[in-house]
Amino acid sequence: MGRLGVLGCQALSLAALLLLWDLAVRTGVADPLFVPTPAAVAAALGSTAREALSRLGDTLLKALAGYVLAVGLGVAAGLWLGARRFPHAVAMPYVVAAYGVPKVLVLPWIALICGLGATTAVLTATLFAVFPIVLMVAAGTRDVDPTLVTAAVSMGATRGQVSRKVLLPAVLPSVVAGMRVGIVFAMLGVLLAEMFAGTRGMGFLMQRMALAFRAPDLFAATAIVSALSIVVVLSLEHWSRRLSRWR
Amino acid sequence: MKVLAGRVAIAVAVLALWEAVAAPLNPLFYVRPSALPGALLAMWRVPELPPLAAHVWLTVKEILAAYAIAVTAGLWLGFLLGLRTTVGRIYEPLLAALYAVPSVIWYPSLMLFFGLGPASKIAFGVLLGFFPVVLSVLAGIRQVPPTLVTVARSMGARPFTVFRKVMLPAMASTMVGGLRAGLALAVVGVLVGEILGARAGVGYVISYAYGLMMTREYAVLAVLVGAGVLALDTAGALVEARVKRWAG
Repeated sequence: MGRLGVLGCQALSLAALLLLWDLAVRTGVADPLFVPTPAAVAAALGSTAREALSRLGDTLLKALAGYVLAVGLGVAAGLWLGARRFPHAVAMPYVVAAYGVPKVLVLPWIALICGLGATTAVLTATLFAVFPIVLMVAAGTRDVDPTLVTAAVSMGATRGQVSRKVLLPAVLPSVVAGMRVGIVFAMLGVLLAEMFAGTRGMGFLMQRMALAFRAPDLFAATAIVSALSIVVVLSLEHWSRRLSRWR
Repeated sequence: MKVLAGRVAIAVAVLALWEAVAAPLNPLFYVRPSALPGALLAMWRVPELPPLAAHVWLTVKEILAAYAIAVTAGLWLGFLLGLRTTVGRIYEPLLAALYAVPSVIWYPSLMLFFGLGPASKIAFGVLLGFFPVVLSVLAGIRQVPPTLVTVARSMGARPFTVFRKVMLPAMASTMVGGLRAGLALAVVGVLVGEILGARAGVGYVISYAYGLMMTREYAVLAVLVGAGVLALDTAGALVEARVKRWAG
């Protein structure tokens, strides 16, 4: 099957899914109070988009702040831990444990200390995104072939040259991979913080729509945020693939 | 030995620092680690808090249900997409796109649809736990060397034998990793659901303690749940290591 055929089948499947959904509501299998028809969601899309626009900007800004913090901290810590044997052996179990513990458990405490504003959301985003980045960058740094470094040094490369010409290209893919995973986690952290303890932002809006039984608006908002994050993540993926080709 | 000493030193230093920083501050916001054991003992007797055992049991049941559904659905879909290549080429990109969405945004809709009871928590746990299982099955199938399958078939092995003797050992370590990640995410899903909106369960008690500013009780619960999750994950890591040894 060609590329067009695949795309056609995908479009057809989505259409069938929408039809099935519509039928389920119309025949009363799903209660329209909780599950609106696709047509109702489409009708709500315009007004919800207007309501969501500024809140979405707010959420994205917080996610970006948390993300930048997490990338800075995570890449630095990952490079340091990956390059040194002893700190790696000592600290890695803690990083893995911190990665494994559900971060929601800390969220109430952050909200208690930092209040219901942007600080809580940004810190939560950082907390969610930083550990996967550390793990991926540290693993990538450890896997750099030492013979490459030895060869460069024996040919008279300076420290700066080794970092720039050998280590950077070798580590870059894992940094990019970490950054790609980090963006979803940062968004997740902000939205969760807004749902739990927010007064603004998209997460807060969606939680309030759910509690007010505004089902069409809620579905429309979910669709908008989904579409946005799919576009962001897929374009990042495209970009990282181009980067690996450059290497 | 030096490594172990370093690890203990980090743990002690963090606890000491926390204790030193928290001691002069308002205990309503900052709980000292030395206050935790006392708080745990007191909690068994606090009348304000709902009886804990029932909540823990409910959460465990929700996690088990979510994980069972996520594994069943994940294995089924993974093998369907992985073994039927045409179906896989059509639906894998859709799955990958869905995976790129920050999963919390589904929770309000699930809460609306399934209500505040256990169903919405189970649904969210399924949603989160399902993806790593599917993705690991797909990755595992890609790791099976096609020549081995061809050889086994040409020697007259039946499809089930090929599956059991050739494919499963080649896929096992990747798949077990996915099953372990799926369990961790099912736990996260149930906990997030309970914390965001519930009337029972451990997450509800945590949220309740937070709402009443019972910070000590909240801290005890958070530490206990965190430790429990870590223990579960460690057990998962042991199983994963065993399976990897079996698969060679």
